[in-house]
Amino acid sequence: MAEPMVSLQDVHKSYGELEVLKGVNLDVAKGEVVCILGPSGSGKSTLLRCVNLLEPPEQGEIFLEGKDICKGPGSGTGESSWNIDFVRQRVGMVFQQFNLFPHKSVLDNVTLAPRTVLGKSRAECEEKAKALLERVGLGDKIDQYPERLSGGQQQRVAIARALAMEPHVMLFDEVTSALDPELVKEVLDTMRELASEGMTMLVVTHEMGFAKEVGDQVVFMDGGVIVEQGKPADVLDNPREERTKKFLGLVLER
Amino acid sequence: MSQFFNQYFNFNVMGEHFGEVFVGFLQNLLVFAVAAVIALLWGLALSLLRQLPGKRLMPIRFLTIAYIDIFRAVPILILILMISGGVPFLTFLPQSVRIPHWFGRPDPFWYGVAALVIVYGAFTAEVYRAGIEAIPRGQMEAARSLGMSHFEAMRHVVVPQAVTKIPAPMLNELISLLKDTTLVSVIALSEAVLVSREVLSERLNSSAMTLTAIFFLIIILPLARLVDKLIERNQLKIARGSHIEVA
Repeated sequence: MAEPMVSLQDVHKSYGELEVLKGVNLDVAKGEVVCILGPSGSGKSTLLRCVNLLEPPEQGEIFLEGKDICKGPGSGTGESSWNIDFVRQRVGMVFQQFNLFPHKSVLDNVTLAPRTVLGKSRAECEEKAKALLERVGLGDKIDQYPERLSGGQQQRVAIARALAMEPHVMLFDEVTSALDPELVKEVLDTMRELASEGMTMLVVTHEMGFAKEVGDQVVFMDGGVIVEQGKPADVLDNPREERTKKFLGLVLER
Repeated sequence: MSQFFNQYFNFNVMGEHFGEVFVGFLQNLLVFAVAAVIALLWGLALSLLRQLPGKRLMPIRFLTIAYIDIFRAVPILILILMISGGVPFLTFLPQSVRIPHWFGRPDPFWYGVAALVIVYGAFTAEVYRAGIEAIPRGQMEAARSLGMSHFEAMRHVVVPQAVTKIPAPMLNELISLLKDTTLVSVIALSEAVLVSREVLSERLNSSAMTLTAIFFLIIILPLARLVDKLIERNQLKIARGSHIEVA
């Protein structure tokens, strides 16, 4: 089997006394879409944040493209070091609250990181940003400021912004949870397209339909551990574990 | 009553000494301008040092916080007297630093500027801090997740937003700084208060001092109104729900 794109081995993370991740193992193959489900507080967001070292794990290893990103100078301290650069330039992240930069236009939101981090020219970045914004269906909004956009549009800009760094892996942290129901589809469609183009994706979501249709693997987390994982059809339709059944029952009842 | 008016509002005295007092007041404005520019930069630097991330940089954060706490507590007058009365004797410093006459300004000018910058750097650092802390954590996280360093994220994302949230409190600090330029009179910089005191002792009349007060009023009253306007505008924005600012 080919080397996994992302591999977590016995990852632990605590906030003070509270242990949020209690030993998580997970392999994500290149081009795979892994959907992570679970009740709030189960550690699924923390897991994503560990993968791009926004929250460095205290114990265990995370391999990205075969390289242990938890080792090395400055690891575990949250300070910049070679592995943080290595990770952040390979892993893009989209947040629940969009986190667009409100003082910058849509175009500048997308070009800021490539210009400052990669030192590319403005012209080159803008050309690419326009193409990306076109791709997420916002080619006509490049001069707008984020507050003028709907939540769904903002989230699509956030996706384009992350893609501008040409990541190898994308992390999606409940990206549709803050959206009005009618805006969810446009964001999921963008993610679906990205998945079909072969992007490796870790998606924390409550969208069962998306998990079932797009996910190659579904992971159910509770209490800081992975309770169950497997093919979407298996986990979602025929869950083995009681906790999974209970959770899915509550979610689907809605 | 007429005695009172004669003592404080003698227009003849005001008229005769208008020129000197005015020139003195220009000196206050100059001290203010130089000190304000440097203090605003120094305060920003301090606030950034205070926000440095990670365990390793804890000593720097600690020292910065200690600086800010100490110099917000020390009276400026004491600092002015300690600098002007001590720095000239520190012979390990070059002459041009011990007794500075930069840009044709006398040494008391620079001692005063130094004291004001030291103290107002600490005060403005706290204002910047309020602005920086008003920016949601997600902004820093988004910038960091895009590969920006802490410094790049501060420079391009956090600080540009933070400074738009603090004009009102910052203006209050600047008003206070302008008033405190009068303290430099104690080390014989001929600014407006010193000039007025000389008039007072010469003519036993306070009208020149009143004139100085009027000069300050003329500059500061509109600024105080502006602060109110900024706070009002800010509250409107909060009511609309589009922005959270630090009032």
